Parts: sequence; structure tokens; C-alpha cells
Amino acid sequence: MKKMNKIISTIIIVALFTSLTACGAKPDTAASDAATSSDHTQQEEKESLLDPANPIKVTFYSYSLGYPTMKSGMEHLINQFNDSIGKEKGVVVEGVVDDYTKWKTDVQAGNQVDIVQHTFSTLDNSAQSLGFKAYEDIFPDDELKEQFAAFTSNALSLGQIQGKTYGLAFTFSTPILYINSKLFEDAGLDPTKPPKTWDETLAAAKTIKEATGKDGFGLAPDNGWTTEGILFSNGANVLNDDQTKAVFTSDEGVEALEMWKAFYTAGVAGLGTDKDLMQEFSAGNLAMYLQSTSLYSGFKEAAEAGGWTLYGGEMPGFGDKPSVPVNSGSCLAVRPDSDQKAAAIWEFIKFVTGKEGYTIITSEIGYLPLRTDITDDPAYLKDYIDQNPILRTNLNQLTRMRPVTIWPGDVATEASAIFMDATVQSISTDADVKKVMAKAQDQINDLLGS
Amino acid sequence: MDPIIANDLMTYGKTVKKDRKTQWFQYVKPYLFLLPAIAIIIFWVYKPLLQTLQYSLYKWSMVPGTQPEYVGLANFTKLFKNKDFIPALKNTVIYIAGMLPFSVVLPLFIAAATHDLAGKAKNLYRALIFVPMIMPPVAVAIIFQWLLHPSNGLVNHLLLTWGITSDNIAFFANEAFAKTMIILISGWKMIGFSTLMFSSALSNIDFQYYEAAKLDGAGSIRRFFDMTLVLLSPTVMLMLMISVLFAGQWSFAYIDLLTTGGPFGSSTNIFYLMYKFAFNDLNVGLCAATATLFFIVFGIIALLMQFLSKKFAFYDN
Repeated sequence: MKKMNKIISTIIIVALFTSLTACGAKPDTAASDAATSSDHTQQEEKESLLDPANPIKVTFYSYSLGYPTMKSGMEHLINQFNDSIGKEKGVVVEGVVDDYTKWKTDVQAGNQVDIVQHTFSTLDNSAQSLGFKAYEDIFPDDELKEQFAAFTSNALSLGQIQGKTYGLAFTFSTPILYINSKLFEDAGLDPTKPPKTWDETLAAAKTIKEATGKDGFGLAPDNGWTTEGILFSNGANVLNDDQTKAVFTSDEGVEALEMWKAFYTAGVAGLGTDKDLMQEFSAGNLAMYLQSTSLYSGFKEAAEAGGWTLYGGEMPGFGDKPSVPVNSGSCLAVRPDSDQKAAAIWEFIKFVTGKEGYTIITSEIGYLPLRTDITDDPAYLKDYIDQNPILRTNLNQLTRMRPVTIWPGDVATEASAIFMDATVQSISTDADVKKVMAKAQDQINDLLGS
Repeated sequence: MDPIIANDLMTYGKTVKKDRKTQWFQYVKPYLFLLPAIAIIIFWVYKPLLQTLQYSLYKWSMVPGTQPEYVGLANFTKLFKNKDFIPALKNTVIYIAGMLPFSVVLPLFIAAATHDLAGKAKNLYRALIFVPMIMPPVAVAIIFQWLLHPSNGLVNHLLLTWGITSDNIAFFANEAFAKTMIILISGWKMIGFSTLMFSSALSNIDFQYYEAAKLDGAGSIRRFFDMTLVLLSPTVMLMLMISVLFAGQWSFAYIDLLTTGGPFGSSTNIFYLMYKFAFNDLNVGLCAATATLFFIVFGIIALLMQFLSKKFAFYDN
């Protein structure tokens, strides 16, 4: 019995010791990995790192997997990679359903987060504090140049911070005005001629409400990105050029928000959060909905099920001024923990931002193909876009597009939350727009230290 | 010295020594049994507590491999300047007050009313009341989201049909309704547990008191207030304490799932704010500073409640 006790206690001591030393060893290994990964550039070396017989697992945190309308398209993209290039090279990508925060908590918990479908507005913060790597530091130069050559330069610049690419533009869209044909026709309007200005949109929304009793127009105050497009369209800005000061309470900014609020005071706006409005539009109870094209495939199905046709128009503008849509969507931010992982991640990125990848993304989700060359290529997207002209609207808007604001690193999440809360309050309540926005502007400037 | 005496003294000395050793062991023995429990409490409760106090003085993003930076009391000053802090404090108080009818008042009456029911009816009623308690919060949140949807929901449909309202109401995106909805849903979930506690306490009351009171001509309302309520006072005080201390935590899941603290931070509470500081803003220091303040304030409340409980609870022994 004594002997048995001795054996058990020895096992416990050994186990404890190994776990303690393992804890101590972890940072060193990570540090050496980080150091070696930046040295690595050689193609031959990289290829030898991947072995089809012993595939390496890569985690891909994707918020698209969390949206019912985008899930199947994104799953298809991942599976297509795993079944083709992944199998050939020895890479298995595991899709992780993300809610915009899961990857952060997993990083904090010490789990390996390899690729994140990251939004642009807080990219600077992630690059500074969450271990994301610049593409130029970890991927082979020649291949990087070749891959980037197919992208439009304004799309590439979105994820660049101080000259380095921390996020490669991935899924991408502009807001378009979705239209429910049935509610338009019931109100005596022509769904193929969408309103072009905000005044026309308000007038159409009033007509629809009177005739059908259904809400005329929807744009949720908590949408988180289109708001900026409305301000930009009226000549206002969110931050100044060097990102040191919030400036959204200009006359143009307040005027733009007051126009949006007019839909609420007239009682013709769909109420609730962005999620509520998505459900309302899908159920056929909302006539016009300003939303990202990423929801196109879901809305198309809803329209077919509800027996109405889905039309779309460009984002409305102010008077004669053309609208300035912002880009929604995401970039791919990466944080490999070894050279081998970096090589595996690069294979996945090359595939999903390649011709085949964008064909799946555009035709099955609705995001824009950032390789515009494939839209006229019958081998890829030409037929699909011809059959779904709504996507041309999205492509047309690209020329006037402006990127969403990237809030400065340290204060990014806090400042963007203050901006959004103030927008929600000024649009959806009786509060005075100028007062609410001015208060938020002061709070953000306090944070920015200006 | 006489060798015999010397020998006796030595033997005596050894015995005393041995006795002392045994006595010492006897004294220590019970504490050895407690040691594992104490070690676990120290590791899981007091160590994190002290770490929280420590982190409240640091700036850190909790990312492995990064070092916390000492910032002194800056987190506390930042906390008081945060736009959501004071509203979150006020809301925490509102949630506590709002939960009391669901955790104490209603369950007390439901328990008393169903206590006299016989056999199967009693079990059926209790089961029906207890069901919400065992439903997962996510499922509850989704059901209420559907019911209370601004345009597609049943509640809005009925309100419009009956002419109670003329416009749809966005219950979770409207400042006037968001908090109330969170209280109603968290409360609805809470009734079952409290009712069960009160029912079990009621079963422990000696029925002879009621017999005697009936003979003296006391009516059911009189019996409830003069006897049931008095004899249940320890349970009432216990539920009151639990409710005050935990109301904020019970509403957390519904705030996160239904309003995410909105619209514009109007339905957030101190727990949700802590969560956002830590996992949205990745600011452990600010989160720890909030937790430290919360710990002090609620510690004082807990002590006060214990004092009240000792003063007002009536034990029937």
C-alpha cells in the first residue's frame, strides 16, 4: 500500500512539475517563433514547411458564419479550400463562428487565433495590442506583390497602417437601397425607379405608409457604418484628416442627421435595431431598406418565399450631390505563431481572395468581388451579375466610395461606441440632434486628448 | 542524585513529551481536515479577489505575453468620467428594486395560495410556475424577441388590434421600455425559484398554529399576515438578501442578448459595464476598478442586510 502511495505521489509531483515548466516555457517559445517568422521569406523553405501527410490546422474566426444569410456561402468557401488546395498542401481550416468579440476573448484566454475576419474600424487597436502581424513581415514578398496586383488600390489601402498591411480587404460592400416591389406597387409607385435623393425617399416612404400601413423606410440608428456615409454624402466628416479630433457636429453633419430623423418624426421609419429591421424587411413589412449587399442572398430568398420581387437602388444623396457610400465588410487580419502556420495561412488567403474565392463570396453571399476583372469574365462572375443586376449598383458605387473611419488605436472601441450611442439617441428619441452630438464630440475629443 | 529518582524523572519527561506531542496533533487534526477546503477557497476566491484589487491599479489588455503597466488610481478617475458609469449605477438600483416584487412579493403570495391545494393540482401549479426557472436564458431571450418584435411581433399586433397603441413599439430599442422589459423577463424567470423556497418554508410551519387560530376565529387574510408572514420572516429576509445582491447578475444575460446595454447605454448595469470594459474595450484595469468599487458597496449592503435579518427575522424554536 505504501509503495502504491509512493508511486501515486511521484506521478503527481512529476505532473505538477511538467505543467509548471510548461507554463514557464510558453512565452519563450512564442517569442522565438515570432522572431524566426519575420526572418523567413524563401519560397522553397515555406513549401517544405507544409506536409500533406501531416496537415496543419488553422483557425479562422468569421462573423459571416454567425449570420444565417451568409453562413452557407462562407462554409462553402472554407470547405472548398479544405477539399482542394488545403488537401493538396496539408492545411485544414477550421471555421469558428464569431460574434465580433469571440476572437478577442480567445486571444485573452491564450487560445491560438490564426485568422480573423476583422472589421476596419478597430484594426489599429488590434495591430497595436493583440499580436496581429503585418503581411509584409511574414509572407513572401514576391507572392504578396502578385496577389495585391489584382486588387484596386483604394481597397488595399483600407487595411494599411503606417505603410504596412495589417488587414487585406476581404468581404466588402456598399449600402444599397433594397426595395420591396409589392409595397411599392400597392402604393402606386414604380419599384424599378428607386428614389435618388433623401427628399424623394421621404416622400415615397410617406406615400407607402399612407397607402399600405407598412413602414416606408428602414435604416437602424445602431447600424454602425452607414451612418458615416450619410454624413459624408452631405459634406461632413467624422474625424479630421490626421485623426486627432472628432468633427461630426458641423452644420452639414447635424443637417444630415436631422434629415434621417425626419423619417422617425414622420412615423414612416421601421423601428428597432438593425436585427429587427432585417427581420421586418425579410417578412415583407418594410418597403425600403438601406443595407449592405452582404445580405442580398438572404433577402432574395425571403422575397421568393414571400411572393414579391427584390429591387435595389443606389444610396440616396442630398439634392444634386452624389451620395458617398462607405464600405462595409472586413479584412483578413492574421496572427500566426510559427513559420509553418504563416505558410498555411497564406495558402488560405491566396485562395479566398483569388478568382474562385471571390466567385463564391459574390454569388453565394453578395459581397463585392475586389478583383473587378472577374465581373466581366464568363468563367467566373459575368453570368451571375447579368442575372442579378442589383450587384451592378454596388459596383457602380465603388467609384464614389469612402472608407469607414478607423478610430485611433487606444480609444477605438470606446470612441466608436460613444459615436454610435449618440447617433441612436439623436435619431430615435425627441432629443435635440445638435446637443446630443456635440456632447459626444466633446467626450471623444477628451479621449483623444485634443 | 539518587539513580532511581533520576530514572523516574527521565521516564516522566518522556511521557510528558509524548503526551504533548499527542496533544499537539489532537489540536491540529481538525484543521488538517479543513485544509483542502481552505486551500480551494483561497485559490478560487481570495486569490482572484486580491488579484482584482491589484489589477485595478494597472493598465492591461489581458493578452498573454503582454505586461500590465502600473497606473495608480488612474482607472478610478477614468471610471467616474466614463459616460455610462453613473447611468449603470442608477440602473443597477432600478433592477434591484424592480426585481423585488418577483423575488419576494409575488412568490410569497403564490406559495401561500398554492399551499392549500391538494394532490396533483398542487404539483401541477408548482411545476408550471417552476418551468421558466429551468429554461435556458438564450431560449427565453429568443422567444421574447419574437413576441416583442417591433413590427412582426405578437404583442405589437395585439396592442394595435385592440387599439391600445397607434404605432408599433420597439420594446428593446426604446429607452422608455428597454429596462422594464429586462426586469419583467428576469423577474418572470425568478418567480419559480423564490416560490419553491417559500413553499418549502411553508411546509415547515406547524399546522397546529393554524388550527388554533381558526378556533379563535381568525380569517385567512389575518392568518396570512399575523402568522404565515411572521413565521416565514427568516425566508423572506434570506430571499430579500439574495435578490438585492444578485438582481444585477440575473439580468445580465437578458441585457446582453436583448439590448446589449442599449439603446445608448440606457439599459446597462454595473455587471454588463464590467463585462464590456474587460471584453469589448480589453481594459482589465478599468474592469477591476469597477469590480473593486462594486465589492466594497455590495459588501456594506450585505453586512447591513445581515444586521437587519438578525433584528427582524422571527425563528420558531
